Amino acid sequence: MNAVGFAWRSLVRQPARAILGVLGVAAVGALLLDMLLLSQGLIVSMRDLLDRSGWDIRVSVREIPGRGGRVSDASETAARIAALPSVKATLIVRIANARIEREGGPPIAATFEGVSGRSNKGAPITPPWTVLRGRDARGANEVVVDAAIAKAANLDVGGTITLRASCVADLEALPPARLQVTGIAEFPFAGTNEEGIGGSLDALKAACGGNVGDEADLLLVTSTGESRETAEAIRPVAPGLFAMTNDEVVGRLQQTGFTYFRQISAVLTTVTVSFAVLLISVLLTVSVNQRLGEIAALRALGFSRSRVVKDVLSESALIVGLGGLISLPLGLLLASGLDRILKAMPGIPAELHFFVFEGSALAVHIGLLAATAIVAALYPMRIVSTLPIAATLRDEVIG
Amino acid sequence: MIGRTLVFLLVLVASTASAQEAPKDILISRQLATEQGLSVGSIVRLAVDANGTGARTFRIAGIYEPTPDPARLGVVPREVRLHLPDLLDVMRPPGMLAGTEYVANINVALTDPADAAAFARDVNARMPGVIARPSSEAAGSAGPFRVIERFHLAIAIVTIVAATVFLLALSIMLVDERRETVGILRLIGLPARRVLVQVLIEGVIVASVGAAFGLVLAVLSEGLINAFFQWRYDTALVFVRITRDVALTSTAIAVPLGASATVLASWALLRRSGLRLARR
Repeated sequence: MNAVGFAWRSLVRQPARAILGVLGVAAVGALLLDMLLLSQGLIVSMRDLLDRSGWDIRVSVREIPGRGGRVSDASETAARIAALPSVKATLIVRIANARIEREGGPPIAATFEGVSGRSNKGAPITPPWTVLRGRDARGANEVVVDAAIAKAANLDVGGTITLRASCVADLEALPPARLQVTGIAEFPFAGTNEEGIGGSLDALKAACGGNVGDEADLLLVTSTGESRETAEAIRPVAPGLFAMTNDEVVGRLQQTGFTYFRQISAVLTTVTVSFAVLLISVLLTVSVNQRLGEIAALRALGFSRSRVVKDVLSESALIVGLGGLISLPLGLLLASGLDRILKAMPGIPAELHFFVFEGSALAVHIGLLAATAIVAALYPMRIVSTLPIAATLRDEVIG
Repeated sequence: MIGRTLVFLLVLVASTASAQEAPKDILISRQLATEQGLSVGSIVRLAVDANGTGARTFRIAGIYEPTPDPARLGVVPREVRLHLPDLLDVMRPPGMLAGTEYVANINVALTDPADAAAFARDVNARMPGVIARPSSEAAGSAGPFRVIERFHLAIAIVTIVAATVFLLALSIMLVDERRETVGILRLIGLPARRVLVQVLIEGVIVASVGAAFGLVLAVLSEGLINAFFQWRYDTALVFVRITRDVALTSTAIAVPLGASATVLASWALLRRSGLRLARR
């Protein structure tokens, strides 16, 4: 019988302790997997979100768009950018707070995104939302709304909404505007509890009573090829503004906004692995100490030193391996729960995820568990390798 | 109503300038002072854009530590604090009459803080377009704190589950190791309940010592963890605080859990006869 088979029988002989050991490793392994998914989850998710939008450069007054400040002379700036040979399309994005009036209930607070695009070479202009039903809004009297608004206001495609938008100050007292809903859309950058309305810049102007000014929260740009070179070409024509490629935005977020979760993930990974090593080591050591007589008898029967060491290592590998296998579905289940908790954080886009499954995270998880199995087995392996056969057998007989 | 100073980010145009009239006083954040080599008494010019549009001269009257904000963790707070009229003078667009500007918030200190809810209702009824809320309800910045707290609680629950499972496994092994001793105790006449009480007392003692050791370790690591993260993010935010409630909660979980694991592990053993136990 080989070492693994022998270790398996050893575990089966003590089912209660073996099952508990495996379950313990499964729980620790699940937490470990989650921490590994958390360490890069936000970055991977944000990169995916930015790439999916179809725009590869973002021009704004801050390095990270959406953190305050507006681009002045937006139309002229967008025209200068659009005139660059490496630019395919530009989109002016203006965001305002809006309140949708409804009968029999308080107004629905929402964020109104007004956009105005310019395409150079017939390139398609993608709005920062995805139409799920109906069609996209066109002109000054049409908008798309998200499913939450449609449900709360009992609306569907073809219905009308009455809203008041505030483009300058939240406290503006503007007359209400009536707009037709042409589609139900999804706003990937909207926060978890944020409702979204989308339409043309003219529709936003109508909703704000014309009180908009030539300002933009963000200019989105699609390049014909290399986004980095295009961003560099934009900087001289948009002085005082930041032209950031998707990679640069993600890199900047990596340095600032997301560091807390990477740090907490590193700390908890270290604690989890140490915890697992300590506990498996104690389990194996106690188990080996209880079987010293049996191991000495096996040695006396001709089992080599390396063979009994392999038995202990195999036992450790089986406990960690089985626990590790169970930890994968358990970890993914736990990750979805933890993701839901963290996504309640204000300002986090609903489509952004803190825990994202990646092959590299799984590889690190397997590597760490393998290292745990080896390190945890070191001390018990030493005990069995240095076991004095005759003295142990004598003690066992006398005891 | 009391108008207080507001915090805004402005562009630092130049570090020195001569002024004909005495410059107004401002405060700057410690991080901005360090980064730009500014100190109390320095004269600076502030403008709303990098071109220096409408720049005005100010004197740094003090350097302050910004209130830690978990939502801005990792962002270096380059902040300037001005008196509201000075800020409006800098920010006012050309053509806007003084006194027609708007402010984002007005903080109100009441004679009796218990009247906050009634006062807010009164303001909302009398002033359409204005939203008044008691501070306890308006603490939007507490959102991230609550979410992080829930996240840590979830992690703690998983850790406790894992620790409990391991503890049970260890207890079973340790109890099994003392099988013969328990068998002899039963054979000399000690009832199972008496042995179980002994095991329970032993479990409580071991769990209490373990919990105390854990608390000492937590208190010792508290300073280290805070020092590391405060250095890493250049913030005064406290990341770990071992309060009395935290210590009591962890003890209240650890001791019964440890003792229960020992009793549970012993229970199966004690159901067997003394002879069978001692015969091993």
